[in-house]
Amino acid sequence: MMDINAVVEALRQLYPNQDIKPRTVPVADTFINLPPDCVHAATALLMDRFDVYHLSTITGQDTDHGIELLYHFWDGRGLTLRTRLPRAERAKGEPGEAPVIATLTDLIPGAAFYEREIWEMLGVDFQGHPNLSLFLLPEDWDDAPPLLAQTPGAAVSEDEADCSSPNDNQNEKLEDQESKQ
Amino acid sequence: MTRMTIPIGPQHPALKEPLSFLLTVEGEYVIDSSLRLGYVHRGLERLCQERTYVQNVHVLERVCGICSHVHSTAYCQGVEALTELEIPPRALYLRTLLCELERIHSHMLWLGVLAELIGFTTIFMYTWRDREIVLDIMEEFSGGRVAHAVNLVGGVRVDVEQEHARSILTRLDDLAQQVDTFLDMIQHERTFQARTRNVGHLSVEQVHRYCVVGPVARASGVDVDMRRDAPYAAYDQLDFQVITAQQGDVWARTMVRSLETIESLHICRQLLQNLPSGDLTVRAPRRVPAGEVVSRAEAPRGEVIYYIRSDGSDKPARIKIRTPTLTTLITLPDQLRGVNTADVPTVLAGVDLCIACADR
Amino acid sequence: MSISGNAIELLSAKVVSALFKLLVFPGFGFLFVCALAFQWIDRQVAARLQGRVGPPWFQPLADLIKLMAKEDVLPSEANEAICAALPIVSLAAVLTAGLYVPIGAHSVAPFEGDLIVTLFLLSIPTLAYFLAGWVSVSVFSVVGGNRSLLQYFSYEVPFLMALSGPAILHGSWSISHIAESQAIWTVLVQPLGFLLALIGLIGKLKRSPFDIPKAKSEIGAGPLTEFSGRKLMMWQLTMHTSTVVGIFLLVNMFLGGDGNGVTALTSFAFSVKALGILLLLSVSSVLYARLRIDQLANLGWQVLAPLALLQLLVTTWIGTG
Repeated sequence: MMDINAVVEALRQLYPNQDIKPRTVPVADTFINLPPDCVHAATALLMDRFDVYHLSTITGQDTDHGIELLYHFWDGRGLTLRTRLPRAERAKGEPGEAPVIATLTDLIPGAAFYEREIWEMLGVDFQGHPNLSLFLLPEDWDDAPPLLAQTPGAAVSEDEADCSSPNDNQNEKLEDQESKQ
Repeated sequence: MTRMTIPIGPQHPALKEPLSFLLTVEGEYVIDSSLRLGYVHRGLERLCQERTYVQNVHVLERVCGICSHVHSTAYCQGVEALTELEIPPRALYLRTLLCELERIHSHMLWLGVLAELIGFTTIFMYTWRDREIVLDIMEEFSGGRVAHAVNLVGGVRVDVEQEHARSILTRLDDLAQQVDTFLDMIQHERTFQARTRNVGHLSVEQVHRYCVVGPVARASGVDVDMRRDAPYAAYDQLDFQVITAQQGDVWARTMVRSLETIESLHICRQLLQNLPSGDLTVRAPRRVPAGEVVSRAEAPRGEVIYYIRSDGSDKPARIKIRTPTLTTLITLPDQLRGVNTADVPTVLAGVDLCIACADR
Repeated sequence: MSISGNAIELLSAKVVSALFKLLVFPGFGFLFVCALAFQWIDRQVAARLQGRVGPPWFQPLADLIKLMAKEDVLPSEANEAICAALPIVSLAAVLTAGLYVPIGAHSVAPFEGDLIVTLFLLSIPTLAYFLAGWVSVSVFSVVGGNRSLLQYFSYEVPFLMALSGPAILHGSWSISHIAESQAIWTVLVQPLGFLLALIGLIGKLKRSPFDIPKAKSEIGAGPLTEFSGRKLMMWQLTMHTSTVVGIFLLVNMFLGGDGNGVTALTSFAFSVKALGILLLLSVSSVLYARLRIDQLANLGWQVLAPLALLQLLVTTWIGTG
């Protein structure tokens, strides 16, 4: 089981200029924000000094702050390193530069599939990755990366998009059951 | 020696779900392999962003057929943590009961599939026949053999009465006897052992490097199980053992999964005998407060992790799912190198692939 | 005039009788009916042992009829002429082999040395099977064909040696003669030979646990992957008939054939022995997992062949001693 305080201390020593503020997140996790170029060294620190080698997954999401990558580690309790990358600027239909970050596959080969999926779904370039090719999408996929916020989702009709009525009834039914009991 | 490229999949008798493997074979030995997923990719992560939290319970159950309940459990737990709901103990016990029943059914299905792939059709017929006992129990309990729709955000939808609980216990005892028979059979059957020992080996170092989870990791000696390490539902009140083995081959994985089935039967008995009384659900708000949560559960194939972010509306901003099959798929090129072509289906079966889970 | 009239009557009677023996009993017609019946019994026994219900009695016939109605396609690179000829040649070879194996007290055309001819004819389907895989060009077929040839070398030598045992013991190479001259059943004198012949038969018929060339989970259907329609029907008929001829061969060589008794009892005894061997084959097909080809080769050369040699040596020693 890793000692979160010791990890935070070590990270603060590694990056004295960064404001390392751990945040507890349910269910048993701690989130720490880091700039993109610090992630690789922080991972190496976790592996060498704290014997943390299990990377559960890497989450990528498109938020208002840009493209966020979350590296979820586990060693008896969870530790997630969060980093933000600027979104590729697309002006007048031309693709801008893709957001870039160093790959973790040289430290943790198991990260290969997770990074490949994020490249595919969000367009993030992992420098040094051995095989950034299509993973889940079909070979003839030529649209924008699907998980980017500006990529439109599947068209749904007005009725399908209206999600209010069936669930209201369901919650009301639950209320009725509880009030009867 | 001529080199041949043998395609395995997307359609192949050895595969239960579509997956594409290209094996480079020299004589009778595999030199290299490459893998292509995505044949069952349905874009569920993106779909979840356009459905409400309540609708997503049903969407996420359909990520996979064999481990459907554990997906909805991990999701509901996550949302309940975001809304800070206190789930009634009876609901937690029933959730756990279905999780364990699902584990039993998944392992028995897997044993049958492995036996069929090595040509031992008799064990396939027997295990799938006895698996019907579990499927019947699940159907009586929830109304469905495969997609149970038991979880709600806030608890569970169905209940178990005293009589029903007693009948389930009797049938689980019958099943325990059958599982003991299979265990005995495979431990003494020389042809079965000849086909599974020293096949598809993974060392502890490889398990660490590829971040493998589940019975495959435990069969190589790595002691990790989310039910004990990150107790969820009712697991913190239960007494069970985590099964590990040392050899790291398909035989070790067979033993781990078989003994885990017996352990699960033991857990089911504890749950049914100590079922607390009380409500089944608590009222859940439609809009989930803004925040994020990382929820982990132990599916039959290993650790499943959900990351959920809410922006305060009634639809999630992001749901990220990582299923255990992805961690074992990445080890396959290593496992297949140097393996006899006749053992390829055995290796594929040994890691218990669930491609629907991996593709989402 | 009357003499030639009698001669013509005699000749036509003989012709009719010969045609009857060839086409009806104990020839092709009887073999065909037995093939379907044995196939059904085999599937029923395997099903019951696995806790299933099993197919209805007409299933093997229905399968053959269904295949006749299916489309007959081949890959464009496969040699059509050879692919059409191979199943016909195999079926012809097996049916011809059946002519020399006595059924009850009847055999169509026995002669001294017909054991060797029968064994030779029974090998033709195996070689045709390998050729079928080779000529079909697809990867699964070629790999299956290679395996079938490797398997052939592993079991054929012990099989032939085991079958030579009764021949040496009774001093004849005619199956009918060996069947008739068994005062005590050969199996009681050469139990090891019987066991080896049985194992060899399982390999020859490519039944589980030696169904390696058509290992469904690994290489599709092996050499026959690309065959369909009428050609596949003939291949299946060949396999079923080989089973029948193989079983009858074993009954005659090791279990005393027709028993030299009264006619009605004769047929009954023969049927019981044949069904007994069929039962042994069916049960052994569900008891074990499939072996790998290298494991089979090891078994064949390190265990079966030496044992067969031992049996032959003992037989020769007893014979000369």
